Parts: sequence; structure tokens; C-alpha cells
Amino acid sequence: MSQNDDPVNPFDPLGLMKGMRDAGMDAWSKSMIQLVNSDAYAQASAVMLNTWLAHLAPLHKAMATAITQALTSVNMPTREDVTSLANRLTNIEMRLDDMEALLEEIRSSPRKASAHKSRASNGGTSQ
Amino acid sequence: MTAAQSGAPAFADLYNELFKSYERGRTFKQIVTTNARIAQTPKTLVWALNKAKLYRYVPVVPEEQRHRIPLLMVFAIMNRPHVLDLRPGHSFVEYMLQHGYDLYLLDWGAPGPEDRDMKFDDYALEYLPRVIRKVKSLSGASEFSMLGWCLGALISTLYAALRPSDGLKNLVLLTAPLDFTDKSAGGFIRWTSIQQFSADGLVDALGNIPGEMIDYGAKALKPAENFIGSYLDLWDNIDNPKVLAAWHSMNTWVRDIIPMAGGAYRQLINEFYKENRLVQGKLVMRGERVDLAHLTANVLNVIAEGDHITPPCQSEGIMARIGSQDKEVFRVRGGHIGIMAGSGAERNTWPHIEAWLAARS
Repeated sequence: MSQNDDPVNPFDPLGLMKGMRDAGMDAWSKSMIQLVNSDAYAQASAVMLNTWLAHLAPLHKAMATAITQALTSVNMPTREDVTSLANRLTNIEMRLDDMEALLEEIRSSPRKASAHKSRASNGGTSQ
Repeated sequence: MTAAQSGAPAFADLYNELFKSYERGRTFKQIVTTNARIAQTPKTLVWALNKAKLYRYVPVVPEEQRHRIPLLMVFAIMNRPHVLDLRPGHSFVEYMLQHGYDLYLLDWGAPGPEDRDMKFDDYALEYLPRVIRKVKSLSGASEFSMLGWCLGALISTLYAALRPSDGLKNLVLLTAPLDFTDKSAGGFIRWTSIQQFSADGLVDALGNIPGEMIDYGAKALKPAENFIGSYLDLWDNIDNPKVLAAWHSMNTWVRDIIPMAGGAYRQLINEFYKENRLVQGKLVMRGERVDLAHLTANVLNVIAEGDHITPPCQSEGIMARIGSQDKEVFRVRGGHIGIMAGSGAERNTWPHIEAWLAARS
């Protein structure tokens, strides 16, 4: 909250109201923080979440099955097909990344070796 | 001649006041509902894998004046990393570039349904090593520094403990949730570590955890401030362009929510929050036990004293367990995001991080 260091002017009703609002917000904020940090709140929110999930999960499953069946019947790719394809692409990307790194290493190796050689022939040390 | 001098009622003043109020309302609506231009510092995409992207920022200091060791920034997996480069004139990225760092940013991206099984094992052992390989290859340096924020700090710590000889010289941890010994420290741990809270049920039903749910959870830790107080603050400062710019850019970042991979969420709640496996030395990733004593890089652990998302005890507890010789805890006044993006960050947090890194880069 913004801090107002101005002295309270009793003839400024808006200023008074703002002061009251800030004080109220402050007190409310503290009590809300205490509330959400309590074990009772944690228990209550977990129960609410579990109840929601208990209703959602069967609905979700039924919907997913119905959509999969519908897509399969019209020869369309399902979510499973698309996600497995995406995973395969990621695996290919990883292999490409490894190959690119290997190529870079191979490319830089002769350069490193020749630099090493030239330093040695110039009488320098390789340290 | 003014309205008062002419003897007419002050209709003109009243009209002006009403017009001003209307204008304020319009500005308020615009600031709350539109996006500011954030993350404006020029950068180049240098690597990508699945949704993850690695960017290299365009240096602003001549090469001979730059630090030898590059700095890789790793942000959390459930937010965009733009907060590190919030707006021109108030950006950590800009600050570090001006101080001569070769700067890289890892953006994990938004997971899709196909990423629902991604875990911290994947982030720390599959993605991060590849990113680091690229950073080393581009910079030509065999050593590097890493800065991790929030869950990015957790991933960085896991990597640092599992791959201590990979060239990591300096590790900066920002508000790192690592030690979950105190089950009463903060709302998140209270809500999620009780028996009844089922991360498995949530992930089984939803796959990835929606960004809206994560956003609601973070805001519900301080409901009065986040749902009402910040808007009152904006209204009170509606005539102050500096505050408006800061509020607008921060709100733009806050509104840009992304889901969290289901596997990572399940692991975070079960293995970290509930079972505290990392600190107890029982965390196993891809068959390797994560031993914090193996973390030997120099460590700067930045802790926000007023952090309600990662309370200080969750970050501080690991300092006695890591194997680093050179380690420092830096406590800053402020909250989880405020210490790096707030108005005081440029005076308090950034210079300390920069000076600590400069002495070791």
C-alpha cells in the first residue's frame, strides 16, 4: 500500500475517507494473511479441491474416451497420436543437437591441434 | 475572468474535475487491460529444443572490456522470464550488459500436453547440460556463471550438485526454494504438505497445471493486497507517470501466465514440499543421488526477507550442506519479485550481485 505521511486534515472528508480505507485495508490484509496461513484453511481448500477432482475426473475420462472414439472412427489423429508425435520430434531434436555439438567439436579439434603445433614450433609452451 | 470572479457557480471547475476523473478512469482501464512493452533489450535466439529457447543478448561493451566468464540466467518454469528485462531503464539484463557481461537467458517456454510428464530430472539433466554446452561453445569459455531464480534456482542447484565438474564457477541463487524442513513456513507449504492435498489427483485430472491455478495460488497468499490493494495503489498514483509505467510493465508480466508441466508439479509437491528429499539427501534423479556436498561452485544466495512465496528459511538452510568454500548469504528487504524488479532493486540487489560476480569473473 502507498504510504501517506501527510497530517490528517479534519476538514478534508476525502482525505479522511482515504485514511480510513487504508487502515481498513491494512487490518483486513493482516487478518486474511493469518487466515490463509492457518491449518484450517489448508484442510478446507484440500477438501474442496478433492471434491472438485472427484467430480471432474470421471467427467474428464468419459469425455476423453468419447472424443477418442469419435476421432478414431473418422480416421483422425487423437490427442495421444499428436503427443506421441511431438515426443518423437523432441527426441529427434535432441539427437540433432548432439550431432551438431559433435560436429562443432570435430571442427574445432584440428584448429586446436594446429594452434598447439604452431605454438610448439614457435618455442612456446602449451600451458 | 474565472468562474468565481464572474460570480457564476463553479460549473467550470466541476466540469474540469469530472473530466479529470473520467480521464483517470480511462487511464486506469487502459493500464489494467493492455500490455506494456517489456523485454525490449536486443537479443538473438541461439538455441532451441522443444519449447525451450536460449537467447544471447547483444553486448553493449567492447569485447576487451567484457568479463571473461559468461553468465547464464535460468528463470522459473511457471512464468515468463521477462521480469529480468522488465522495461528500458529498469532492467537487470540492461544493467548487467552495461557492466560487461556476456549474457544468456534460458526461457523454458510454455509446456504443451505432450510435456505433461516432464520432471525436474529432464530440466536439470537433459535440457540444462545442452544449454550449457551451447553457452560454452558460443562464448569460447570453459567456465561459466549461472543465475537461477525461484524454481530456476532449484534446477540450477540440482545441476550444480549433479555435475560439479562441468565448469560452473559461480552460482547465484535468487529466492531459491530448497529446504522444506519447516512445514509451517508460508502458505504454499502449509497448503500442499498436508496429507489430504493430492498433487497426483490434480495432475492425473488436468495433465499440466493451468497457469490460472498457479497464479491464483500465488495471489491467494496475500489476497487483500493482490486482488484489491494493488489496484487501489494504481488508482492513488494514477497521475504519477513513473508509477504508472512501473505498474503497467509489472502487470503485463504478471498477466502473461503459462502452465506448469504436470510431472514437475507432482515432483515439486511430493518429493520437495512433502518429503524434503533434497535436504535429506534422498533425492534420486535418473539413478543418481543428489548430494548437496558435491556443489562446489562459489555461491551467492540472495534471500528476500519479506518473501511469502519462498520464505527465507527455505533458501538459507542449504548453506551448511553445500560443499562450496566461497559462499555468501545476501538478505535483501523486499518480496519474492520485488527484490529484483522493484524500485529499490537497482540500488540494493543488482549492484551486490554484479560486484560479487565481477570479483569472480
